[in-house]
Amino acid sequence: MRNSSGKISIMIVCIIVGIMLSVQFKTSEKYGPSLRTSRMEELALKNSTLLQEKEALSKEVVSLREKMTHIASDSALNADLQEELKKSNIAAGFISVEGPGIIVTLNDSPRAIQPGDDPNSLLVHDEDILFIVNEMKASGAEAICVNDERITAMSEIRCAGTTILVNWNKIAPPFVIKAIGDPQMLESGLLIRGGKLEELKLYGLQTQVERKDKLEIPAFTGALKFQYTSPIQSKKKADS
Amino acid sequence: MWILTLVCLGIGLFIGFQLPISLPAEMVKYASIGVLAALDSVCGGIRAYMEDSFDNTIFLSGFFVNSLLAGGFAYLGDRLGLELYLAAVVVFGVRLFQNLGVIRRYLLKKY
Repeated sequence: MRNSSGKISIMIVCIIVGIMLSVQFKTSEKYGPSLRTSRMEELALKNSTLLQEKEALSKEVVSLREKMTHIASDSALNADLQEELKKSNIAAGFISVEGPGIIVTLNDSPRAIQPGDDPNSLLVHDEDILFIVNEMKASGAEAICVNDERITAMSEIRCAGTTILVNWNKIAPPFVIKAIGDPQMLESGLLIRGGKLEELKLYGLQTQVERKDKLEIPAFTGALKFQYTSPIQSKKKADS
Repeated sequence: MWILTLVCLGIGLFIGFQLPISLPAEMVKYASIGVLAALDSVCGGIRAYMEDSFDNTIFLSGFFVNSLLAGGFAYLGDRLGLELYLAAVVVFGVRLFQNLGVIRRYLLKKY
């Protein structure tokens, strides 16, 4: 009795063990026949970490792509800004420029001072230069320099004793005034009848106007400081 | 007797291969320990049967409890960061070989 029940239970248990074994075989085979169980654990862990990494990386790809489009639009913006900056620099005289234009050379009168002469009438004055520069501006000059001192919006042309100051630098005769613009226009603006050059010639000063297809005008080399000036916010500007 | 067990084992294997059951990857390790314990129990049972000291209750309870305990130990070991399943492998492996050795001797004596 005991034996037969024992037999039966052994048989049942054997069948169960057989099922367990075969399931185990199948599972092991499914995950690779040569994989050890501990290795499988490790690989499962690695797999899950790699999956996480992959997810993170794909997110990164998306964000980088977004950034790239931003940068692309930014670089267009940048190019626009650079263009603006270039224009502003040219206008402000911060970079050297070249182009067609005229060169006006002024020099003191070679005539020796006669007794009774006013020595001032033989010299080139700050006003003369200022007048010519102004005339050039009126004739559409885009860049002007006097003895390689770039004329900026804040440049002064002023008599200081026996010398003339431009950009706080002393300049001495001969005064070479270069202007970039339409040479024809500039020349005719200066040589206009009753103009400043004629007047200077009348005084006996040496004047010379020369058209150039290409001339260079150096950059403003002085320091730039805004002690009192600050820009008005663009919003306010728009409101006003 | 042992032919019967082998036949039953074969039937079990056949059924198992036919069944559309497969374990998840994380479970393989624990299940394998359980299988080892089950094998040990079966061998122990056969040996006890041959020694005429077979007890059905002990056999069946040993079979199920040992299998579950072995799997549970392996799981606990993993949670604790301890290779506890090695202990189960060593214990059940040694016992399995001992039991098999005893069975072999009985069989040799018999025939």
